[in-house]
Amino acid sequence: MSIDITMPRLSDTMESGTILKWNVKEGDEVSSGDVVADVETDKATMEMQVYDDGTIARIVVDEGDTVDVGTVIAILAEEGEDPSGVDSSSESSEKKSKKKEAKASDDEDEEDSSDEEKSTATATKDRDDDEDDDSEEDDSDRESKSKKKDDSKKESRREDSEAESDDRGEKDSDRSRSDEGAGGNGRLRVSPVARRLADDHQIDVRNIQGSGPSGRIIKRDVMNAIESGAETRASVPPGAKRKSTSDVAHPIVPAAAQDEDQAPGPLEETSIKLSNMRQTIAKRLVESKTTIPHYQVTLTFNMDPLLELRKTLNQQLEPQGVKLSVNDFLVRACAIAMHRHHEVNASWGEDHIKVHGEVNVGIAISLPASRGGGLVVGVIRNADQMGLRGISAESKRLAEKARTKGLTTEEMSDSTFTISNLGMFGVEHFTAIINPPNSAILAVGAAIQKPVVRDGALAVGHEMQATLSLDHRVIDGAMAAEYLRTLKQIIENPASVLV
Amino acid sequence: MPREIEFREALREAMSQCMRDDPRVFLMGEEVAEYNGAYKVSKGMLDEFGPRRVIDTPISENGFAGLGIGAAMMGLRPIIEFMSWSFSLVAADQILNNAPKMLYMSGGQFGCPIVFRGNNGAGGQLGSTHSWCVESLYANVPGVKIVLPTTPYEAKGLLRTAILDPDPVFFLESERMLGMKGDVPEEPYEVPFGKARIVREGTDCTIVSFGRPVHFCIEAAETLEKDGIDCEVLDGRSVRPLDIDAIVKSVRKTNYCVVVDQAWPFASISSEIASQVHKRCFDDLDNHVHRVNADDVPAPYAYNLEQEMLPNARKIVEAVRSATYQA
Repeated sequence: MSIDITMPRLSDTMESGTILKWNVKEGDEVSSGDVVADVETDKATMEMQVYDDGTIARIVVDEGDTVDVGTVIAILAEEGEDPSGVDSSSESSEKKSKKKEAKASDDEDEEDSSDEEKSTATATKDRDDDEDDDSEEDDSDRESKSKKKDDSKKESRREDSEAESDDRGEKDSDRSRSDEGAGGNGRLRVSPVARRLADDHQIDVRNIQGSGPSGRIIKRDVMNAIESGAETRASVPPGAKRKSTSDVAHPIVPAAAQDEDQAPGPLEETSIKLSNMRQTIAKRLVESKTTIPHYQVTLTFNMDPLLELRKTLNQQLEPQGVKLSVNDFLVRACAIAMHRHHEVNASWGEDHIKVHGEVNVGIAISLPASRGGGLVVGVIRNADQMGLRGISAESKRLAEKARTKGLTTEEMSDSTFTISNLGMFGVEHFTAIINPPNSAILAVGAAIQKPVVRDGALAVGHEMQATLSLDHRVIDGAMAAEYLRTLKQIIENPASVLV
Repeated sequence: MPREIEFREALREAMSQCMRDDPRVFLMGEEVAEYNGAYKVSKGMLDEFGPRRVIDTPISENGFAGLGIGAAMMGLRPIIEFMSWSFSLVAADQILNNAPKMLYMSGGQFGCPIVFRGNNGAGGQLGSTHSWCVESLYANVPGVKIVLPTTPYEAKGLLRTAILDPDPVFFLESERMLGMKGDVPEEPYEVPFGKARIVREGTDCTIVSFGRPVHFCIEAAETLEKDGIDCEVLDGRSVRPLDIDAIVKSVRKTNYCVVVDQAWPFASISSEIASQVHKRCFDDLDNHVHRVNADDVPAPYAYNLEQEMLPNARKIVEAVRSATYQA
């Protein structure tokens, strides 16, 4: 039984692919997992594996050719099968009608396997001899059988690859996730009741991280997804462009639930299935880092005045249950600095630069492992219009919601600038990747007590480093430096953030 | 009038009431008469019904089982007591090859309204040949009804149903339960076969069992309740007929199922139920059906090993946790 190798769907948006290079030639033996070709998709060049053992009987699509997903690109002969005798279901359509006739007239068709073997051998031989009348029946007999099976197989593959509807989409993702675990066939593992519940609630199981054995998606995962609601609705059109937010940069606060497994046993090699979020993070950050001309500008801030002010404010606000974080001050400072530097609050628009009318500051929020890890960017809208208390409340609300129920698309949309803060980990300095379509992201380190020079004398003070990553297409170095200088003025004279 | 009596008394009351009602009913077995029963189930019955209806036999299970079957074919209503179901194995041809097939083989000419009853399952350090749980083995045969009572109330009602039933019934008691007390009405009543009893309602996991292990299930459910896992415990009452509908209904509610079966795991009651639940509840299951069986070894003699081999509350708790992904 020959196996059709079809153009796989290697990304969510892939509709066609180009064979850049065949790593095998006709007659080569391959086993499951072998990379047989390099395929260029709309996004990247990827390696294409085979999922069966056999011999490459025919290469149907040549290097450099582009074909739709699902198109047969090669044919694999299974073990024991003569590669020269195999035929693809998509080829030989001219024989179809003839075969159907033969099928109809052949009573023994499905029954006699020895007969089948004989006829297979005959068919192979007869093929070489050109089809004369005597061989026609045998040939047709064999063909009709393989044809029938091929057809059904092809049908199911077509379903897989062309599926746009939601439940079929699951099969689609089965393939794209592929290659994991005990089943060996790379299926997405979903318990029956979880699948049914997801269907009932129109939840796309591909967006759910399974917590069962081998990542099986179980009832409680679906129930959690139903509760959190956001982002899992299957009704979101798959092709719809994601809003310009989320899923990027670095965590602003460490996830509440740390893994407490401290057993010093030996490490194990494991393979972790990509969650939808992880895939998005990977895709967007690669896109950002490879298409945006990044550069970084770092400045050191004297944090003593701000820390002093924060201490005073928090003492006074304590009865009201308000506790301002350093990050709340930074959000406010970055937002009001935009008023003097509109160009930093902008996006690259290919043929123009869009300067935004709102200052929406995104904050990177890391998610606990219980929610599948990863991170999202929650957006504090019109941060320049909000007071510290409002920013603090909104920031806490977003972080809490992200970690428990998940943020809605709206809560992750429309940021114009992003702050990523690793200060709480004691990090002194790092650089962040821009969160498109932002043109800048501020990577904030810890306010660290150290020897500093103040008024020409050595003293002990708190300093903080912050590094701005910028899109050079939008913002030049001097502009970035001026923005940071303004930020420095605000932070070192923090009374201005109060008014 | 309910009053508290022992399991063995409930059995005796069911037999005596039927014998008073119907002169065709009689009891036969080893030491049932003069000795008042090896486990005192038939205590006083010889005095009441006399030696024609309460009959001591030699140690010859194959003989008196066959005698009973012949009597049943000819219109009597025998109750055959095996001291232990372990000893029924020597009567296998009679009880498996004749009794369940008689109606079929005779083309409907002869029925076989007989009850075989006795102790089933580990009695406690009786060694591997005397600790049989026969339900899985015998349930394989079409034509038998197999009943496992769990309380004195159930015992009395189910045994009356068994005696009145027109087909052969295997009635599987446990010597570990004969002293158990419970409220039992004095007047005769019947408890139907094939109707599972919901011992405890719950929403989080279905636990199905039969006979003595039902009590382990209740114990496990109480432990699990403290962890917030609310189990529904079903007492199937009879493995044949099996009330699969009740099990299915419960599993559709809870999405999880654990079957507790005191017999060995291979080709057992639990594997049969698992198979049927998988078929009927496929889209309702969040995990495969989990089973708790006796370990797949001959029953050990040593006390600690025997306890470890048998199903118990701890194993059930573990199975439920595993089934519900809360291990």
